[in-house]
Amino acid sequence: MGSKAIKIALILLSASFVTIMLILPLVTVLTYSMRQGWRIFVSYITDYYTIKALNLTLLAAAVTLAVNTVFGIFSAWSITKFRFRGKQALTTLIDIPFSISPIIAGLVFILIFGRIGWAYPLMEAWNVKIVFAVPGIVLATVFVTFPFVSRELIPLMQSQGSEEEEAAALMGASGFLIFRKITFPHIKWGLLYGVILCAARALGEFGAVSVVSGHLRGKTNTLPLHVEVLFNEFKLTASFAVASILVVIAIIVLILRNIVEYRLKREDG
Amino acid sequence: MSGLKTPSGRLKRDVIPGFGLSMGVTLTMLSLIVLIPLASVPLVLKDYSLSEFWRVVTDRQTIATYKVSFSCAAAAAVINVFFGVLLAWVLTRYKFPGRRILDGLIELPFALPTAVAGVALTTLYSERGWIGYLFSKIGVKISYTTTGITIAMIFIGIPFVVRSIQPVLENLDPQYEEAAATLGASRARIFTSVVVPEILPAALTGFALAFARAIGEYGSVVFIAGNIPYRTQITPLMIMNKLEQFNYPAAASIALVMIVFSFLVLFGVNILQSKISEISRGS
Amino acid sequence: MYVELKNLNKRFGGFQASDNVSFGVGKGKLIGLLGPSGSGKTTILRMIAGLETPDSGDIFIGGTRMNDLPPAKRGIGLVFQNYALFRYMTVFDNIAFGLTVRKKDKKYIRDRVSELIKFIGLEGLEKRRPHQLSGGQKQRVAFARALAPNPHLLLLDEPFAAIDAKVRKELRSWLRDTINKVGITSVFVTHDQEEAVEVADEIVITNNGRVEQVGTPIEIYKDPKTPFAAGFIGKSVTISDYGKLRGFEKIEGFESALLRPESVHIMKPQKELYPHASQRGIVEDIFFKGDTLELRVNLDGQKLIAYQSLDGAAFSVGDEISVLIYRLYLLGENTVRLAENRSIKSEGNFFI
Repeated sequence: MGSKAIKIALILLSASFVTIMLILPLVTVLTYSMRQGWRIFVSYITDYYTIKALNLTLLAAAVTLAVNTVFGIFSAWSITKFRFRGKQALTTLIDIPFSISPIIAGLVFILIFGRIGWAYPLMEAWNVKIVFAVPGIVLATVFVTFPFVSRELIPLMQSQGSEEEEAAALMGASGFLIFRKITFPHIKWGLLYGVILCAARALGEFGAVSVVSGHLRGKTNTLPLHVEVLFNEFKLTASFAVASILVVIAIIVLILRNIVEYRLKREDG
Repeated sequence: MSGLKTPSGRLKRDVIPGFGLSMGVTLTMLSLIVLIPLASVPLVLKDYSLSEFWRVVTDRQTIATYKVSFSCAAAAAVINVFFGVLLAWVLTRYKFPGRRILDGLIELPFALPTAVAGVALTTLYSERGWIGYLFSKIGVKISYTTTGITIAMIFIGIPFVVRSIQPVLENLDPQYEEAAATLGASRARIFTSVVVPEILPAALTGFALAFARAIGEYGSVVFIAGNIPYRTQITPLMIMNKLEQFNYPAAASIALVMIVFSFLVLFGVNILQSKISEISRGS
Repeated sequence: MYVELKNLNKRFGGFQASDNVSFGVGKGKLIGLLGPSGSGKTTILRMIAGLETPDSGDIFIGGTRMNDLPPAKRGIGLVFQNYALFRYMTVFDNIAFGLTVRKKDKKYIRDRVSELIKFIGLEGLEKRRPHQLSGGQKQRVAFARALAPNPHLLLLDEPFAAIDAKVRKELRSWLRDTINKVGITSVFVTHDQEEAVEVADEIVITNNGRVEQVGTPIEIYKDPKTPFAAGFIGKSVTISDYGKLRGFEKIEGFESALLRPESVHIMKPQKELYPHASQRGIVEDIFFKGDTLELRVNLDGQKLIAYQSLDGAAFSVGDEISVLIYRLYLLGENTVRLAENRSIKSEGNFFI
């Protein structure tokens, strides 16, 4: 067999795998959501509970992005610009949420703030509801996506080295000035990249949120949870219509991701 | 290499300001969001006797969920390594129209919410779905079987393997392959003796990441699994069931088993990887 | 002495990077720290800069003890090996950075930076980014950036290491002239003896964390104090059994000797001078070095290197030649002694 034939065979095999495994599910969502026509589709995605769920999803994602961006920048800065004992251990600890089932991520917050949790009496006294309420959803989302930004930044800042920062510090520049003028211009695309990945995961998080939400429609339902509820009620078209909102978001994320990655590679080269 | 590097990093005076602040913020946030919550899992079990714990985690139905989760995740990871190597190879070695789109699509399982993937896969592979219909004609059922679970796990695991192997292949100088070819090695020989040893550590990492993710995965698997006790119940679903019965200690017990297991997987891979890199450095 | 280092010690784990280092740098002098890698030269530079804290000992700059001052307060300018130019800033902003940090007023900064850019001969490149500059231009910018805040002491880490060989020679004399013009006290680190000899007013030779010798390049070359200093500066071969060479005898406590090529004179056997001081050898190899010929000579099993000018007598490989050795550096445990060929002296007397 010639190398050209092998090449074509391998490309075709790859393309079929991607088509069947990845593209067909997407197409399924879009066709099912449209199968009762455009007007029904619009009515599903503008439904009161859908809009409520969308708002909650966006809120949770926004808080998550803010928290994880702050954490990502501070943790990457301390890990890459300084030497200290236990650095390896710290990086491993930061990665924990990646290796833990989202169900467990939700569970831990039930175990803290739920009826049997050690923080329950305290929350009761302050009259704050966390589990089966919005704060719990936000917490679970933050937990699951916690390492995203720092994971993007650490290798980037490591490859940059810290000579430029050292040079600036030797001239008496403050930490904030060094970050703003020297580190930030270098990591801005990587940061954006991490933020996009984090956003994608935060918008779509299901397992962890499902544990802490309590599925109160109009109150603690996020979009992915709303998809589940509708699906389990055999409202397939409605479920897929709501899912199609998330598919569109996912496609936008993918496109953004590729643009940013392209910029990132160009900056590097 | 920088000439200002010290032979060992100890006792170096840090010139760059901000260590205290950034380390403080890092540790505080890490503790509040990850460490303290995780530590609460064993805390819940403090009133639980060891025999009770053991009874819960070795309950017949729970054991069945381990078997389902473990075997499906392993099968999915093996299949993913095969297709992952293939995709990484095609994406790095060949130029063809649509390559960038194919490359971008690999990331889809990361970007697509797992619940959406779950309902889409369930529908697609059910007897009335496009693919499920074809298979039902030859008498094969996919949705609500372990086959379906494995397919969902392939879906969520594939980017881990491709993205682990791709950079290694990109950095692998084609000169090695060319050198082997000029020495008269056949294509298959070149692949097994030059390429495979180079990508093996990355493939293992990809395998472990995909495997660990599949074990813990919930959203994309739960719909297609159908939650049939002893047959298609996965371990995360078991935890969910215990939670719905408000049996928190039981949920925490099974969670603890899963946490320990996923740590063991990652730990084992770390050891394996350092062994492999030792060997390849030694040769 | 403008800079004084007194009994500096520094350990990294089990590695003694600085072992009782003491030396001084005169005001306005250009000093080269020279040694092989791992000899501790960079650690010394880092301690002066404040990037490293000595375990014991004192650092004085301009009479003030600097040990506890942070780097930014020591009044030093540092040129990094890879320049560490800020890659997202223009040439102008790079040079201005130290002044901006010190909150100088805008007009002052503009004037000072323009002056420096003119000084380093890069007018018109103010708006360029570092990646648009050649290696030599980058070095000039790094130099100007370090000088901008008017430091009292300039430190340079391997200033020529990142530049290709062709430009390096030209930059060496540029840097030397420029530092002399500015008149700033400077210390640079290098592992290249040729570079140190050519650029420095004085050389500090380091080895195994210790200072082996301090002196002008000629002092060290002519009068090395330690076997290491003798071997490190200049080209040489080691001779173990130097008592066998004609005109020299074995001295107790000096186990081997160092022979420099310029102490070897080779002649056609029939044109031999000082027959009693010379001996016969075989030419084994000849290398053309651009302006001279370098000959490998076998002298009773002992290999030597000799130079021959291009317009001198022509030799070819395999020729028997007469070899005259003027002087050797005898190497003791920790001392070096100069030995002259005795037979030349006696024969010289005979001629006169």
